[in-house]
Amino acid sequence: MTAQARPLVEAKEASSRKSRDQWLLKYSTLLALLLLFLGFALTVDRFLTTSNLLNIVQQISMLTIVGAGLTFGFAAREMDLSVGYTVGLSGILVPLMLISGVPLPIALLGAVAAGFAVGAINSLLVTLIGIPSLIATLATGSILYGINFMSTGGRAIYGGLPDGYLFLGQGQILGIPVLAYAMVLFVLVAWFLMERTIFGRYIYAVGGNLKAAELSGVNGRFYRSAALVVCSLFAALAGALLAARLGSGQPNAGERYLLDGLATVFIGMTMIRPGTATVTGTFFGALFIGVINNGLNLVGMDTYVQSIVKGLIILVAVAIVSRTTKLKLL
Amino acid sequence: MTVTLSDIVMQYPGTRALDHVDVDFLFSEVHGLIGENGAGKTTLVSILGGSRQPTSGTIAIAGVETALASAGDALAKGIAHVSQEGSLVPGLSAAQNILLGDEPRLGLGIIDARALKRRAAELLARWFPQVTIDLDAAVDTLPMADQKVIEIIRALRGDMRLLILDEPTATLPAREKENLWRIIRSLPPRGVGVVLVSHFLSEVKALSDRITVLRDGRHVTTLPAAEVSEAQLVDFMLQRAGKTAASGEATGAPRASGDIVLEIADWRVGGVSADHFTIRTGEIVGMIGLTGAGHFGFARSLYTGEGFLSGQTRFGGQPLSRIDARGMKARGVAFIPDHRMENSLIGEWSVRENLAMVHPQAGAHAGVLSTGKEEKAARAAMALFNVKAHSPEQRIQDLSGGNKQKVSIGKWLYGATERYRLMIFVEPTEGVDIGAKREIHRHIQRLAGEGAAIIVASSDLMEVADIADRVVPFVQGRAGPALERSEFSEARFIAAMAGDPQ
Repeated sequence: MTAQARPLVEAKEASSRKSRDQWLLKYSTLLALLLLFLGFALTVDRFLTTSNLLNIVQQISMLTIVGAGLTFGFAAREMDLSVGYTVGLSGILVPLMLISGVPLPIALLGAVAAGFAVGAINSLLVTLIGIPSLIATLATGSILYGINFMSTGGRAIYGGLPDGYLFLGQGQILGIPVLAYAMVLFVLVAWFLMERTIFGRYIYAVGGNLKAAELSGVNGRFYRSAALVVCSLFAALAGALLAARLGSGQPNAGERYLLDGLATVFIGMTMIRPGTATVTGTFFGALFIGVINNGLNLVGMDTYVQSIVKGLIILVAVAIVSRTTKLKLL
Repeated sequence: MTVTLSDIVMQYPGTRALDHVDVDFLFSEVHGLIGENGAGKTTLVSILGGSRQPTSGTIAIAGVETALASAGDALAKGIAHVSQEGSLVPGLSAAQNILLGDEPRLGLGIIDARALKRRAAELLARWFPQVTIDLDAAVDTLPMADQKVIEIIRALRGDMRLLILDEPTATLPAREKENLWRIIRSLPPRGVGVVLVSHFLSEVKALSDRITVLRDGRHVTTLPAAEVSEAQLVDFMLQRAGKTAASGEATGAPRASGDIVLEIADWRVGGVSADHFTIRTGEIVGMIGLTGAGHFGFARSLYTGEGFLSGQTRFGGQPLSRIDARGMKARGVAFIPDHRMENSLIGEWSVRENLAMVHPQAGAHAGVLSTGKEEKAARAAMALFNVKAHSPEQRIQDLSGGNKQKVSIGKWLYGATERYRLMIFVEPTEGVDIGAKREIHRHIQRLAGEGAAIIVASSDLMEVADIADRVVPFVQGRAGPALERSEFSEARFIAAMAGDPQ
């Protein structure tokens, strides 16, 4: 009897250990964020001021939008490494259109069209031709990089941008940056799609078990494509906002959004539903990155150190997720 | 000379893969090893090949007790295991593959390419002088049979006494099989015994000197191949002591069957062919066969169209030009696959979310998912199927096999607004306890009673005998003539699965 009882006890201990680990995992990132925030608040004088906090929000709004898009990709188990250059593409395209006299709404539609086109090409390569998304989007990203520099000669595009456009990136409504409203809007839309619609459910389904989803009658190809299109679409709209914030279109302005965007998703995957990319998790991930960037900036750390710190954070987040869940990124 | 395994027990947590097995393998014979999936063949040959250690029991080579501590140790003692999955390195030449890990060197780690080619050619000429293979060709460009020969020569590189061949012909086209058969037969006269693991009974019978049958981890018998028929072998593989196939508890009067739901003619799909098959409303048709006979793949292809090559199909009287999962689902076909965690469920999802996978709109208001509404629908499905879980929010992977299977079936009924016209089950009670099994059978019968046509492809003969009205036996990729319920008996099933016309 004892011989049989022991494994049972062990199993029980293991499962309670597992559920404790899961609980810790869910909240440890939030706790770390809170500690980080408190740490900066206590040690850096200019950190806890209204203007700095609004600044953080403004800084992370584009990042959050890119991250929210990447969340769709991760949920469907597709990786989009071209988002940074898609940000750049529409950040050039929209100013170019505006300067040549295109009305603002049409120029923004141009960003939508550009995002849709990049997403369509990516998903064609991935779901019809069968190239793994990691590689396909690495290649399309390289192509977009070339296009961005070729179309601008490597120079920034500025001067003559309409006020309405600059207001999107720099203005405030009721004392709160317009970008913050945009971020909230995108997060809400993404959250609603992922958590409350059949569309989002099926994106998670094809990422969770493609075979099971397809045998249940789900169109796997469609939902994998849709996830990649959302990645590009969100990136393109973030690019339009970024150029408005910078007041110019810069061919290399989007590059850092790839790594930072991936980081927000990885950090987000440690919380809410560990191992799964969620919009809420990604939002907190962006907040995490934003607080770190801002705090390190204020203490005068240069960008190279920031880059090292972010790299370490990504490693820690991915290490936590892959050791505690059955994470299959690709 | 022999390798003798005595009183071998292999205990895994919860299951005993081998239960006091005694068997000896001669260096002068081809020894066939057969049994259904789960009989213990793989475990036995891994012990023989040194890659697994038995819980208890002894191994003796030529009468001297020994241990086979690792695959390398077994190799050193003259036992080589050629596994089912190819172990060749694509891109390298045949010669390089033959001498992989034992390349002749010029010193400083530089490979002597000329010596390598010469040695590979010598090995080929020594073992199989009748075979010509281009040893310079990239190994993956060679015919499958030649690749297998390369693997065998590599295994024979050292001084081997016993060669374990695991399903060597499974990937070969028929024409190439015979060449490999000749090669296998040529080994024992030269002092190399062969242990042949195969699902193809005709092959085992034709090639082997003796055959050992395992069933449920037990040694059933070892006997000369010449003294046994294929039907007897099937009998040994399947027979369960004290039980007969048709348990008689079943269904009573056959249901009145109605219109033809699905009709196919001259189907060729994957490695399976079926001349004609029809199923009517209210009818339960069983599909049986030995492992590898093709009945599971055939049942699956009726829903997915996977591997479809040619044939005519009519569904509800209408000709179909194309079969795919979404189209068949829209026509009112449900498919409940085997290997539920791989093919049907999402392990990290809750019971509720898994149930909502097929008809999510049942838990939504105007396209917006409502957790409350989903939970209500999930509770209804859980009650219908008697799914035992703490709550609809429990993760599916934490449920027992029987409850998982009920969810795998129940997800098709969750939110279904119309009755299914055809439901296809593959291994509907795989790994579930006896209570859940009875419940699942009752559901299948109820669904048939409500007018669905039902296909049950199963390796459980008693299950099929209990619930089916008609049984189609599959033999080596061919659908045989159907047996009617009045003809059901274990003997008839076994004869049909062995391809014996009675």
